[in-house]
Amino acid sequence: MENALARPAGVFARESVAELRKNLRLPQFALPTILTPALFYGLFAVMLNKAGPGAAAYSLATFGVFAATGPALFGFGAGVAVERENGLIELKRVSPLPAGAYICAKLVSAGAMAALALAMIYALSLIGGVRLPPEQWALLVIVHLLSVIPFALLGFAIGMRVGAKGAIAAANALYLGFSILGGLWMPITILPGWMQQAAWLTPSFHLGQIALSTIGVPPQGSAPWHVAALVFITAAAAWLALRGWRRSPA
Amino acid sequence: MDRNGMAVVARLRGVTKTLGGRPVLNAISLEVRAGEVTALLGPNGAGKTTTVGVLTGRFAPDAGEAELFGLDPGRPAARARIGVVLQSAGLPDVLTVRELVSLHSGYYRRPREIHETMALAGLEGLEKRRAGALSGGQLRRLHYALAICGQPDLLVLDEPTTGLDHEARRRLWSSVRAEADAGTAVLLTTHYLEEADALADRIIVIDDGRIVADATPSGIKADVAGSTIRCRTMLPDPALAALPGVRSVRRSGGAATLLVADGAVAARALLGADPSVSDLTISAASLEDALGDLSATIRKAA
Repeated sequence: MENALARPAGVFARESVAELRKNLRLPQFALPTILTPALFYGLFAVMLNKAGPGAAAYSLATFGVFAATGPALFGFGAGVAVERENGLIELKRVSPLPAGAYICAKLVSAGAMAALALAMIYALSLIGGVRLPPEQWALLVIVHLLSVIPFALLGFAIGMRVGAKGAIAAANALYLGFSILGGLWMPITILPGWMQQAAWLTPSFHLGQIALSTIGVPPQGSAPWHVAALVFITAAAAWLALRGWRRSPA
Repeated sequence: MDRNGMAVVARLRGVTKTLGGRPVLNAISLEVRAGEVTALLGPNGAGKTTTVGVLTGRFAPDAGEAELFGLDPGRPAARARIGVVLQSAGLPDVLTVRELVSLHSGYYRRPREIHETMALAGLEGLEKRRAGALSGGQLRRLHYALAICGQPDLLVLDEPTTGLDHEARRRLWSSVRAEADAGTAVLLTTHYLEEADALADRIIVIDDGRIVADATPSGIKADVAGSTIRCRTMLPDPALAALPGVRSVRRSGGAATLLVADGAVAARALLGADPSVSDLTISAASLEDALGDLSATIRKAA
């Protein structure tokens, strides 16, 4: 029988473009997730910073992870839940679109939103006097962009299980919880002991520590440990996401 | 190929499905053939949408077999040849009609030209309108456009005309008819008898998860050809059922509805048995009466 499937590469690209268009035409979603990290960073790490460019560089590493969590958690968690509830996912699933293309498009669009949020933070850090060697910049950008993946998978796992309203509430709770526990706004050493221990369960803490080590700040614990923990959390999130996709009747 | 020389594109054999602890489909067997419009007709909750879900690979049957182009319906190669209008599906409000039709056309190997899809679905002039700004009827037409844009070999329409006005419904019917005449297999679900009667080559009546009848529209009418008598009478149901040629008796309020083989014969007997009969009318049995009768017969037998 002749192969009736459309060429996958084209389908992936077109689906991603449509997804990006959707986001850019919904500024009420895109703007807060892009502007909030820049606002926080500009206020706390640049304007109110009395400790000099070193502190601004430290914050740059962790706020960059914060900038990646928003688009990933909201785009996937809330976005997928809404599209599952209104039946769009069902329509995609009875169409010849490969399941991977839907997920890939969402990931590309979350990555693009994160890139915009990151660009603003990077610009602010330069204004705040942060100077890094090019190879450190390159590594930092890579870590920040890869941060999207674990949060996106977690958001996806939630979106396939929880209703739209519940998913938005859950995304908000995780957004704040991961930021505080992960030490993305301020080092976790100022938190109570039990919260410092809980930090080890969050992907944000490990990502923050990895980001810090790329700019020469020694991490709490060892860097390979953080990488291992992150790989484990990401794999668990991927498994939950895949199960949610398979199980969901819609 | 089946006995009529039409290729069978989709088939269910003894499919049983339980959803959320409730049995929804009970040993459903059916075939959908190329070039034919098959209507799945039944009341809400009868199992029409679940049947469509099994055929399009959304649900795996608990028992029995589902086949789409000879493949498991869950396989992407099978889905590549179908177009589906779901009963309710949201579309991204911020994308335009043209963007959505073009996006879905890209899912298929040999899509129609965009303008041809627009014309067939009656969407000319709305290309630049965003989906969120469409009226309910326009949105249904957009869903139809997304289903036909890939020139599918099987077109599945779940309640396609709900919410359409008379004029739009007629236009959609003629478009569906044209698809079937060009060789496409069409499966549509409906609870409008008029729609099944006007459009379908074959009507499959489903009630309570079972297939009650599977025949041509005229075949179904012939099965239960006769008259309907409506009246107010003091006679109890068993006495009415004992009148000559009475097939079924139903009551609603104080009125009785009898489905009978010969209206005049039954009416004479009725007047003889109960001289106080009032509001008596005799009419040809409608498809609706015929189907209600079939369902009732099956329920009694079960």
